[in-house]
Amino acid sequence: MPGEGRSLRSGKDTSSSTNGEKARSNSQSSSSKDKPVPTRAASSKTKAAAPARKGSKKESSNDKPQPNGQPIENGVNGADDVDMIDEEAETVKVPTGKNGEEEMTVVVPPPKGSKLSGEPGKDPEGDTAMGNVDKAEDGAQDVEQMDPKVKAVTDIKGNFQLLEKAVAQFDARFTLRVLRSISSIRKHLSPDLLAQVITETYGPTNAIAKTLLSTLGKEDVRFSDASASEMDVDQPSKDKNSKHGTSTKEILPEVDTYLSILVQIYLHDSRAVQAGAKFSSDLIGHLRTLNRRTLDALSAKVYFYYSLFYEQLAPVPPSPTASVVSIRPHLLAALRTAVLRKDQDTQATVTTLLLRNYLSTSHITQADLLISHSQFPPAASNNQIARYLYYLGRIRAIQLSYTEAHEHLTGATRKSPATPSAGGFYQAASKLLVVVELLMGDIPDRAIFRQPNLETAMEPYLNLVQAVRVGKMEGFLSVVQANNALFRKDGTYTLILRLRQNVIKTGIRMMSLSYAKISLRDICMKLDLGSEESAEYIVAKAIRDGVIEATLDHEGAFMKSKEAGDVYATGEPGEAFHERIRACLGLHDESVKAMRFPMNQHRLELKNAQEARERERELAKEIVEGEMDDEDGAGGDFEGM
Amino acid sequence: MSTSELTSTLRHLQSTPPPSPDQISSLLSKAKRQLLQLNALLPTASTSPQVLHLARATLETGALLSIRLQNPDAFTRYFQQLLPFYELPPSSYSPEGEGQRSKVTGLYLLLLLTKGDYAEFHTVLEGLETEFGGGKGKGLEEDKFIGYPVKLERWLMEGSYDRVWKAVGREGVPSEEFGVFSEVLIGTIRAEIASCSEKAYPSLPIPNAKNLLFLESEGGVVQFAQSRGWIVKDGRIWFPFQHGEEAPSGKETLVTSGQVIENTIGYARELETIV
Repeated sequence: MPGEGRSLRSGKDTSSSTNGEKARSNSQSSSSKDKPVPTRAASSKTKAAAPARKGSKKESSNDKPQPNGQPIENGVNGADDVDMIDEEAETVKVPTGKNGEEEMTVVVPPPKGSKLSGEPGKDPEGDTAMGNVDKAEDGAQDVEQMDPKVKAVTDIKGNFQLLEKAVAQFDARFTLRVLRSISSIRKHLSPDLLAQVITETYGPTNAIAKTLLSTLGKEDVRFSDASASEMDVDQPSKDKNSKHGTSTKEILPEVDTYLSILVQIYLHDSRAVQAGAKFSSDLIGHLRTLNRRTLDALSAKVYFYYSLFYEQLAPVPPSPTASVVSIRPHLLAALRTAVLRKDQDTQATVTTLLLRNYLSTSHITQADLLISHSQFPPAASNNQIARYLYYLGRIRAIQLSYTEAHEHLTGATRKSPATPSAGGFYQAASKLLVVVELLMGDIPDRAIFRQPNLETAMEPYLNLVQAVRVGKMEGFLSVVQANNALFRKDGTYTLILRLRQNVIKTGIRMMSLSYAKISLRDICMKLDLGSEESAEYIVAKAIRDGVIEATLDHEGAFMKSKEAGDVYATGEPGEAFHERIRACLGLHDESVKAMRFPMNQHRLELKNAQEARERERELAKEIVEGEMDDEDGAGGDFEGM
Repeated sequence: MSTSELTSTLRHLQSTPPPSPDQISSLLSKAKRQLLQLNALLPTASTSPQVLHLARATLETGALLSIRLQNPDAFTRYFQQLLPFYELPPSSYSPEGEGQRSKVTGLYLLLLLTKGDYAEFHTVLEGLETEFGGGKGKGLEEDKFIGYPVKLERWLMEGSYDRVWKAVGREGVPSEEFGVFSEVLIGTIRAEIASCSEKAYPSLPIPNAKNLLFLESEGGVVQFAQSRGWIVKDGRIWFPFQHGEEAPSGKETLVTSGQVIENTIGYARELETIV
């Protein structure tokens, strides 16, 4: 499991800044997402239990308050963001739950009541969300019978309502939920389906609808009467129709954008790069005229696909005339606008896109300048932070600041989503991390290569590590030669070439450890160095750099290893120990920072403490009084005597 | 404004024997002014292929001449100005061709190397690598001009100073402009070797030291040894630094114990916050 591996590694240097960031972003996102947490917890619960209690509503009502018991871990998962597969199942169900709702509200009142009792005092929309999910299990029966296409249509329409809600309540998490459901809808997208949705949503005169349809190559589609839905299932009730009536009059830009994203995705999946690029450019132009905060998350997505299209447009990146170069001004403009509008979603996305863009054509200096002149929003989603860290690590590795690169790349691998769909990113980051570790003179942990989702991809790198570890020049060169194309593809080739000197150093170290005295000639032969003079200089340099403890004898032409001193007599063990203690203390600090406390709890405690103090005071008073009484009593006795 | 004036200035600059340094600089500024009048100091979409070619040739000549005049700052400026020209595909020039790109780039790399700016060196190299490596496979190291600094860097990093020495000699350099940097590079490697020798050898006979340090005469060795504070005795050089290291002085122990005390107090403080 990658997760396990990462948690193991995380013990190493918890004091790094990336960790601090992680902790911060976690707590931040979870605090902003406090509300959806119970919903999600409930939904996963319902989903898991769905088959078991299809019939018995009673049980489900008893079950209700339970999900609130474990909000914290769910919050952390939930904060992970947009394309997480494991949440897909849940989001698929939300809209279907809606379908169910129309029937269920009439047929089965109990769940509604139970839900209300389970969630007292919550705001009404949190409640409705709960309600939808509650009925997901009932809606599931419908889903099974439904054609996936029809389901996709209803999903999309359900998402419209979510978007409307997001606008009405100015709440970004509805939009996020809509975006999350894209991956499930994606499989069923087709021009027919999209055309159907468009014709049902827009009036026949709508300009946006026309552009969308012409992009799909479906100009001739007949606009159906809004009220006469073509859906074959009997679920569109009066409620649905009335909704249609209003939506044809005034369609939100969010809905436009959402549909446009779907069109973009369809074009991307069907490899219509040219059309996609043109469509995206127009879309961006349109988006720039709008200034709506509820559009942020959506427009970030639009930019993402926009750049993706141009990346595939010929001529492709490595050449300096690549078409990605042409979108740089647009992206930079978008970045500027996003920063001015405090649009953090777009800002984060566009920053990573720009970095990717620069790196694809190896404009490292520009990328570096971009980083130093811009600020990455700390509240960005986890995935964007992971991307950013990866690019940052890459740039620093090229600039030879390996320590920094190592820090960033470790952050990137740890933050990379654990879902199979994001495996590529994790692999790329791990590859780079391994190379950087080698360059730093460390040998990467064997466990990294054993993770199941990395094993095959990392095999050439494993060979490389072995070659470097042994210090055999031929081995190293043959590995590089054999995997030349692959290393180039991964963009690690130049970095790997820099490893040459590390191989030599390791070789010398091995020799110094195994021989008390060895002639330069033998060193030269064993390491394949060309000439004895070279060997002499190289060994001298190794001694200077502290790689080995030895002396050279020029007249005798040999290297004499020094007696290895007792390590325990030096400060080294102490330093290693100190390092570990610091890591542990750092871990503790981070954990404390990551802890969250219920609101106003401390007041309660304060009150308790105050009460206790009062009690104590009373007690003390009583004692004093008692003593006085005693004294009086004693005195009295005395007097009486 | 026609291109003919610029062409004549350029021809003037490239003439053999080369004009005197004073003439060169005045000619160069004249050429730049003419470029500006042609609006070709930066390539735009509307610049014609002929003018592009001419502009690039002018800047390249300027770059090479400023190397000859030993003016690295001017060279860097020319190189930066050339970059946008090199981004364009060879087909956008008339007559077509890469120009002297690899030579100028190679010189720039070498300049970075002599300045010790390895980060920038690798940054430029990375860009070249993706560009070259994409199509033709191993193009970079085989290029005479770019391969040269690349190899030098590798040898410097691993410590094969004798190869560097051979490479910077008369016959090693790919073209005479590269020879300008030889002096600096020799100084660099000599200093490197000296600092390595201090650590690696207890003592060294003077004739051997002469060979190791690539010095001309034994007198030069003695001079060099004195400048680094080495002791010359009985025809051998003794390196003084090593012996001082071997016995840890009392001061060092003091520093270490201070460290330990500091750490322990730190732990105590941390523990206090935890418990």
